[in-house]
Amino acid sequence: MTEREMEMADCLVRIFENVLITEEMSLQKGYFPDLSLAEMHALDAIGPYEARTMSETAAILGITTGTLTVSIDRLVRKGFVERKRDEKDRRIVRISLTRSGKVACRMHGKYHRVLAKRALDPCNEEEAELLLRMVHDVDNFLAAQAKKYNERESLRKTAKEVSEERRRRNDNG
Amino acid sequence: MDDPRERMNAEEVLEKKDKIFEDVLNMLVDRLNISPTDIRMDTDVKEELMFDSLELYELVVDIEEAYDIRLPDEDLDRIVLVKDVVELIYTLSTDS
Repeated sequence: MTEREMEMADCLVRIFENVLITEEMSLQKGYFPDLSLAEMHALDAIGPYEARTMSETAAILGITTGTLTVSIDRLVRKGFVERKRDEKDRRIVRISLTRSGKVACRMHGKYHRVLAKRALDPCNEEEAELLLRMVHDVDNFLAAQAKKYNERESLRKTAKEVSEERRRRNDNG
Repeated sequence: MDDPRERMNAEEVLEKKDKIFEDVLNMLVDRLNISPTDIRMDTDVKEELMFDSLELYELVVDIEEAYDIRLPDEDLDRIVLVKDVVELIYTLSTDS
């Protein structure tokens, strides 16, 4: 690895770690210490406006509806999310944010905005375009890598879940 | 020259904006614990009302729910005076 490559690799890993740490800390030390980062991202996936179904939200987060249910149960108990049955089809349960959930979601959105502004503000128009294009390249590369792994087996699933799913698939022919 | 329909329309707009101002005033008084006489249309929201970000977003969510509108951060950035809040709510609630 050249010195430049090493510097780049260090920076990328540090950015990833520090975004997670500062996000987590801004919640813990801020107005919402009872929210974990994963829960905050669940609120973000539901969004402050329309009610969503569990499967829609799970798809946005890339997790199973089973995993989401546990998280939503907790968020309902903490008063950030509410469940309602669909007026037309009572079988469908929709989830939406309570007032506290909306406020938390908007404030967390501001954290992301401040981060982006801080990165872009020192740039002129041309530099901002270039920076954005380069960050997109890194993002696309990583997304393609992640997709490759996901196609093989879901990384988020435990070995037990994977073997159970495989068995189910085999049972179904 | 003076079209009565236009005059009526201008009066309706003013009336609607007055109502919005009154709503915003009540929300601000509740939230910030200040006297209604401290808030005018030309009150500087950031300099004079001293919101912290939690209070700001609580107000934003309350306004969104009361008027069934969406207040994006980009629009909030442009707000300086209470008058700007009223204009923004008027525009968004009239468009929808």
